[in-house]
Amino acid sequence: MSDVQATRPNGGDGGSGPDAVLRALADPQRRQMLQLVRNNELAAGQIATHFAITQQAVSQHLRVLERAGLLSERREGARRFYALRPESLEPVRTVLADLWPDALLRLKHVVEQGKNQKKEERMTR
Amino acid sequence: MNRPDTLTATIRIAAAPAEVFPYLVEPHLLIQWIGAWADLNPEPGGVFALEVGDVPVRGAFVSVEPPNRVVFTWGIPGSDTLPAGSSTVEILLKADGDETVVELFHHDLPADQLPQHEAGWTSFLDKLRQAASS
Repeated sequence: MSDVQATRPNGGDGGSGPDAVLRALADPQRRQMLQLVRNNELAAGQIATHFAITQQAVSQHLRVLERAGLLSERREGARRFYALRPESLEPVRTVLADLWPDALLRLKHVVEQGKNQKKEERMTR
Repeated sequence: MNRPDTLTATIRIAAAPAEVFPYLVEPHLLIQWIGAWADLNPEPGGVFALEVGDVPVRGAFVSVEPPNRVVFTWGIPGSDTLPAGSSTVEILLKADGDETVVELFHHDLPADQLPQHEAGWTSFLDKLRQAASS
């Protein structure tokens, strides 16, 4: 699966946080996997039965999701069980949560600059 | 788990509410602080349309009370997760001496929804973040 290779969280771009979450969510199969384990945990093999890709490819997708912090992993002997960590979607909210403070900061600057310009115009009149 | 579906942001501006308010409802003033293009009809039911980066934001004004409060809906056309008009932004301007305290509430966000069959929400956030940081 070349697209799994392309999104493998190796090197510096892995880890958690908004970027890793967004990258992990960018793949439709991974979003489908999150849906599957949303309400109950499933073994990797059970998850794989829902996809027409190799179990190895499924495992790689699950690893991407786990490293992004979207899934929790529990091992029981040789089996791995996965469940959604709903709190991990917080970083996605964080993007919007960052937008507004940044925007309000710009609002402050443009209003205060506009006001100073008017003041200067009055004084030079 | 308890997941608030409202984001809040606040800032203090050295100007009176009446000086700040036009920046919330007049397109050429709004785009000085958010978005690159805007079409606004600031009356209840009036259009609220904004391009943030290349992401279209669409909604309608709910309440326009100069100079203290404006409420509009906010969403992305074609998005399953955050359809046009699905969330609500409320901005309050409170006079404090010569200054204004701006309080912004973004209500009804799809906090516990997962993006399903579309990358819209994800790419929207990605683009929004790029636009916001540029």
